[in-house]
Amino acid sequence: MTSRRVSGAAPGIVAITVVAGTGMAAVVATSVGLMPLYGEPAPSLDGWRSAAPDLVAGIGESLLIAVPATVLAALVGFLLATLMLGGGRAASVVRLACLAVLAVPHLVGATSVSLLLGDGGAAARLAAPAGVDDWPALVGGPWPVATVLELAWKESAFVALVVLAAVAPGHRMRMQVAAGLGARPVQRVLRVLLPTAAPAVGAASLVTLVYAIGSYEVAWLLGRAVPEPLPVLAFRLFGSIELTDRPAAAAAAVTGSVLALCIAVPALATLPRLRALSTGGAP
Amino acid sequence: MPVVGLVLALLWLAVPLAPVLVWAGAERWSYPDLLPGAWGVVGWRDAAAAGLQLALLRSLALGLAVAAVATPLGVMTGRVLGWRLTGRPRLVVALLLVPLVLPPFAVAMGLDVVLIRVGLPELVSVVLLLSVVAIPYTAYTSATAFARTSPELEVQARALGATPRQARLRVVLPAVRGSILVAALLAFLVGWSDYVVTLLVGGGQLVTAPVLLGAAASGSGNDAAVASMALATLVPPVALVTVAALRIRGSRSTAPPDRPSESVPEQERMHR
Repeated sequence: MTSRRVSGAAPGIVAITVVAGTGMAAVVATSVGLMPLYGEPAPSLDGWRSAAPDLVAGIGESLLIAVPATVLAALVGFLLATLMLGGGRAASVVRLACLAVLAVPHLVGATSVSLLLGDGGAAARLAAPAGVDDWPALVGGPWPVATVLELAWKESAFVALVVLAAVAPGHRMRMQVAAGLGARPVQRVLRVLLPTAAPAVGAASLVTLVYAIGSYEVAWLLGRAVPEPLPVLAFRLFGSIELTDRPAAAAAAVTGSVLALCIAVPALATLPRLRALSTGGAP
Repeated sequence: MPVVGLVLALLWLAVPLAPVLVWAGAERWSYPDLLPGAWGVVGWRDAAAAGLQLALLRSLALGLAVAAVATPLGVMTGRVLGWRLTGRPRLVVALLLVPLVLPPFAVAMGLDVVLIRVGLPELVSVVLLLSVVAIPYTAYTSATAFARTSPELEVQARALGATPRQARLRVVLPAVRGSILVAALLAFLVGWSDYVVTLLVGGGQLVTAPVLLGAAASGSGNDAAVASMALATLVPPVALVTVAALRIRGSRSTAPPDRPSESVPEQERMHR
């Protein structure tokens, strides 16, 4: 009976292993010329060589988008969770709003943000009466402001709900005990709430960071043309009419995956230490 | 909750979507007017002419297909994780993290090359890949539900004469039904919302609502039509999530408290 129960996990795990494993193996093989769309396989690093300058710039642009978006999402998400921890009808309204934002497709969010922050957008219209005639290029400008804000907006709702789910059980009791022991409000936040929320904030931030590195549509719609973040670069080269661009596209995809793994693996190893903060014991 | 905090929170969450709501009802909106000069449904007419209805139906079908594949696979995995029936839970958890860590476009790009050679239809490929993306969500949601439900339920049903299949379908599944519905909803959202995998693997043949919106938003210049498409793509998932959240909240207020996972007998668990 036990072996049958254990095998229950297998179909899902096998599907993930086969699909993700095949996909990654194929994209690596394509990047080194072993899986050309047409013709005979010919091992070559030409794809990597031709994409190298763009890859370096792409890593920089991806991090320039993902890191600020994650920091902002973590900060706002934590504040939203703190508001919801207060309880009551208002907390329910904020929770429902967070759930609604979570359900919004990123592409819809990016479309709306472009209508909000773009040239002739709602923000520019609001600023015009105040004499702001030269609306800054927040969409497609020198800094990925709109891209960062869209990702931070949607992911802040995710962070808030994750933190709320982790911290809400026993929150009131912990705060009452801390207050009973003489902790001031600031001390309760810094020494009770923050350590309790740290593992959830860390885990949700990691998911956000990795997602932002791999996200295509937001940067594609709201970002600048040059340099491109890795997903946008990979997608453009993949759709190129030059078949020789395929290995370069695959090289960009592999670089994006390695970047995500380089961040996720050490961070996952660190999370138990964060968890120890909340329990006050060993990981 | 302080009123200022509530107002700021709602402004942060709602303002980014406001332009879509206004533009979707605008017939004419010249710069720098704060509100449209004329209201109307021209955007909706243009969106419909571009094929919005069919695109929405394709998105619905894709979402349902992904939910139909990813939910049972996730529930099976969640049961094993939640009831600690595996000797290698860390391996299962690590493999479940793979679709969350690896960028979907990278996997899709590699898989596209393979699928062209295999000759698998684009629709099947898209459903397969998106189901894999959705499995972690369905598995973790189910695992949480199973951790709250004692495996004694299944044992007792078996002791009363139920077959393993009957015990699962008639006793265990109804006990975790709410969470399974949430898992299915999450999987549906993955299918409904996807853009890049559908475009890459679907080869532009599978025009879902996000694919149509992406094409319009990147180059049509018709803001009213783009906003109409965006609003039509936005409403179904938001409505579903809102209804689900309200129903779950209602059922929690009347249901008895969940069993703690500690009630799982030690002999039913496998050692880590």
